[in-house]
Amino acid sequence: MDEEILQDFLVEAQDLLEQLNEQLVDLEQAPDDSDLLNAIFRAFHTIKGGAGFIGIKPLVEVCHRAENVFDKIRNGEMAYTPEVADVILKVYDTIQAIIERLAEGERDIEDDAVDPDLLKELDALFGGEGPAQEEASQQEAGDSAESSAAAEVQLDLPPDWDPDEEITDEEFEMLLKMREEKLAQTQQQGGEAAGGEVKLELPEGWDPDEEITDEEFEALLKMREEKLQQASSSGSEEQAAASAQPAGSVPAQQPEEKKDMAAKPAEKPAEKKPAAKSADSGKSEAGKGAAAHQPKQESTVRVDTKRLDEIMNLVGELVLVRNRLLTLRNGTEVDIEEISNAVSNLDHVTTDLQASVMKTRMQPVKKVFGRFPRVVRDLARKLGKEIELELRGEDTDLDKNLVEALADPLVHLVRNSVDHGIEPPEERVKAGKPRVGKIILAAEQEGDHILLSITDDGRGMDPEKLKRKAIEKGLIDEMTAQQMSDKEAFELIMAPGFSTAETISDISGRGVGMDVVKSMITRLNGSIEIDSVLGEGTQIKIRVPLTLAILPTLMVAFGDDSYSIPLTSVQEIFDYDPAHTNRIDGQMMVQLRERSIPLYFLKKWLAPDLAPAEDREENDKVVIVNVGGQRIGLVVEQVRGQEEVVIKPLGVMLQKLAGYAGATITGNGSIALILDLPGVLQRYQNMQQKGGYHVAAH
Amino acid sequence: MLQPTDQNKLKEEPFVSPVEADEEESIGPMQRCVLFNLDRETYGIDVSSIREVLRVGRIRTVPGADEKILGVINVRGVIVTVVDMRRMIDVPVSDITDRSRIIIVELDEERPVGLLVDNVMEVRDIPEKRIEPLGSSQEDNSRYIQGIAHYMDKVIILVDVFNLISDAE
Repeated sequence: MDEEILQDFLVEAQDLLEQLNEQLVDLEQAPDDSDLLNAIFRAFHTIKGGAGFIGIKPLVEVCHRAENVFDKIRNGEMAYTPEVADVILKVYDTIQAIIERLAEGERDIEDDAVDPDLLKELDALFGGEGPAQEEASQQEAGDSAESSAAAEVQLDLPPDWDPDEEITDEEFEMLLKMREEKLAQTQQQGGEAAGGEVKLELPEGWDPDEEITDEEFEALLKMREEKLQQASSSGSEEQAAASAQPAGSVPAQQPEEKKDMAAKPAEKPAEKKPAAKSADSGKSEAGKGAAAHQPKQESTVRVDTKRLDEIMNLVGELVLVRNRLLTLRNGTEVDIEEISNAVSNLDHVTTDLQASVMKTRMQPVKKVFGRFPRVVRDLARKLGKEIELELRGEDTDLDKNLVEALADPLVHLVRNSVDHGIEPPEERVKAGKPRVGKIILAAEQEGDHILLSITDDGRGMDPEKLKRKAIEKGLIDEMTAQQMSDKEAFELIMAPGFSTAETISDISGRGVGMDVVKSMITRLNGSIEIDSVLGEGTQIKIRVPLTLAILPTLMVAFGDDSYSIPLTSVQEIFDYDPAHTNRIDGQMMVQLRERSIPLYFLKKWLAPDLAPAEDREENDKVVIVNVGGQRIGLVVEQVRGQEEVVIKPLGVMLQKLAGYAGATITGNGSIALILDLPGVLQRYQNMQQKGGYHVAAH
Repeated sequence: MLQPTDQNKLKEEPFVSPVEADEEESIGPMQRCVLFNLDRETYGIDVSSIREVLRVGRIRTVPGADEKILGVINVRGVIVTVVDMRRMIDVPVSDITDRSRIIIVELDEERPVGLLVDNVMEVRDIPEKRIEPLGSSQEDNSRYIQGIAHYMDKVIILVDVFNLISDAE
């Protein structure tokens, strides 16, 4: 397998899959959109072509079948019903899984990478010609005589069968089963159905180990295409006639089907293919997992050439400025004006360069949002809910790392909305709401932040119920509960070990979710805010910085050593006044607008040996920060002001040290350490548990 | 490292003068080392793992870090951890002087580390056959020592940078 070609294929396939994911869900909304159908058909076709060339047989097989199904759909011979969509989405997951394995360096994709049941389902969709036709194509290459015999399957239809009438699911199942049995018989006579690969007649002197030129590659692909076409055209007439029967009634059924679903949405998923379901559920679950966890780390990024030119241009400018400064240095006279010109020029160039380089790292948030239509669709179908997902601000740009880091938390939140937020249709109707629930996923830039919001018009949350639950679970006590505002009560759902689901479903409600989401967002220096009105819906707002590389911080200091606190967490700053503090259960607290906030004296940790400056007139300062919903007061010696810093990793042996997020170089060239607030909090909590804090706090 | 005298060497009779003995050894494979002092001993580090040697500027302390770690310094925009070689090798700690230097070593591009030493002396080629591996005493500190060379009336302790850094991590 040529590694280079394989890599090219993977990049292309990943792009196609990303588009496919959206296209497939869109198609369900607009099943007749021929452009969309063609695009999907082409996508499968292209993946198949590439896979065939690098010899990944299972991928070829599954793509080939999907392609066939879409060919029929675009020719108007069948409709893209939700049932078809289920199978096709499974195909998508399978392809995705194989591509992912290849991307991770696996090279041996065994044949059972594709679930044989899935192939059968596809063949069934294709209307009876699938495997037979595959076989036909095989035999076509060698011996074309018998192929048509194997391709045709005669079904014994019930006497009262009317091809124009709509069929029920049961009838359809029955037909499928009948067909399968028939096929099995035919195949026994016709021999084993071999894989979907087509034999190519290779030119003389062909050496499989040798590198091939592009022309040769093209020629091979074309040859292969022709072969395939031959093979499929031989079967296509019969297909049109015979296979259209079971599937042919589907287009008529389709609009009806939708109404039908609306009428009995609750029973629908349960009733649908009961036999296949138990066997499938495990696999489709695994598939979904794969869909949710897109490849962990994307190592490449696509940059517009224009943007690169822009950067190149700026670098050119930078060189010019340097040359000027060098000349100035070598000159005998010091011309302050010249120098200051050069420096201000340098300032401009660097600012522009920084912005341009940052832009290369930016990606539209669409990359994350793209998967949600699918997530919502699958879940809604599984839960018998009707949900419309609206995406807003998909073009908002976001740092590449953030795009990747946000994917998992968002998936979790959206799943929560579908599972817990939106009510089943009957309940919605009873409550006087439209039966179709709505979830809005929006992104917008808000200054130097990105605001992501997930809004549903579901049942909302009851703060009192949440409080009771938290008390039951021993997370808070009665007193705290009474003091809590509604907003704080909502935040309880993010406390570790808190799950509101009455029964644990496999979708959400494992009791780990929200606190993990919270800590992930906190790690990104983001914040999360929950708002809910009982009966009207819930809104979750996530704010994350535009980029992970540059961080607005508050500079604080002890003596000469400065530390940065991420500005997103800082809420307010005031003078430390011992008169307004008291000790509660060994913990120093400060009174702020009738609330007690725990105080952490950073000096104890960061500068234990620092002697208090004699002539200092200023008081120590209290910086109130919000760490994942919890407010604490950090007592520092000086507050130096706000500074945007470039985050750099701490060196070797320090990276695992709790309490630091990294280091940065300040304007005067010295190093400031960036505090990682969750880590700081953890540190103090550990200290308190060990009792060390009491001693240290004298 | 082949020396210009190599040609002559081959023609020499078995009898060799002490000076020539040194030269003879230079034929074999050599290890080029940067020599530095700690306490009263001389140590050597293979040049291939050294990126640069710096004067000691301001070292930013990192509260809460291991006591072997002096802090971090800014090397052209990269934050580099500085460890006190005296503490690593377990010799009494001394103050930083004008002669103190930080040797920046790296295992790969990504992970530079600064080693604070008393002073850096010179770069010297040491014949590999003069390097004796340290006996297998499994004491902690000997893990950092690759071997000992007796060469040119000096005892040179060769530091195994790889073990030094990866152990500390």
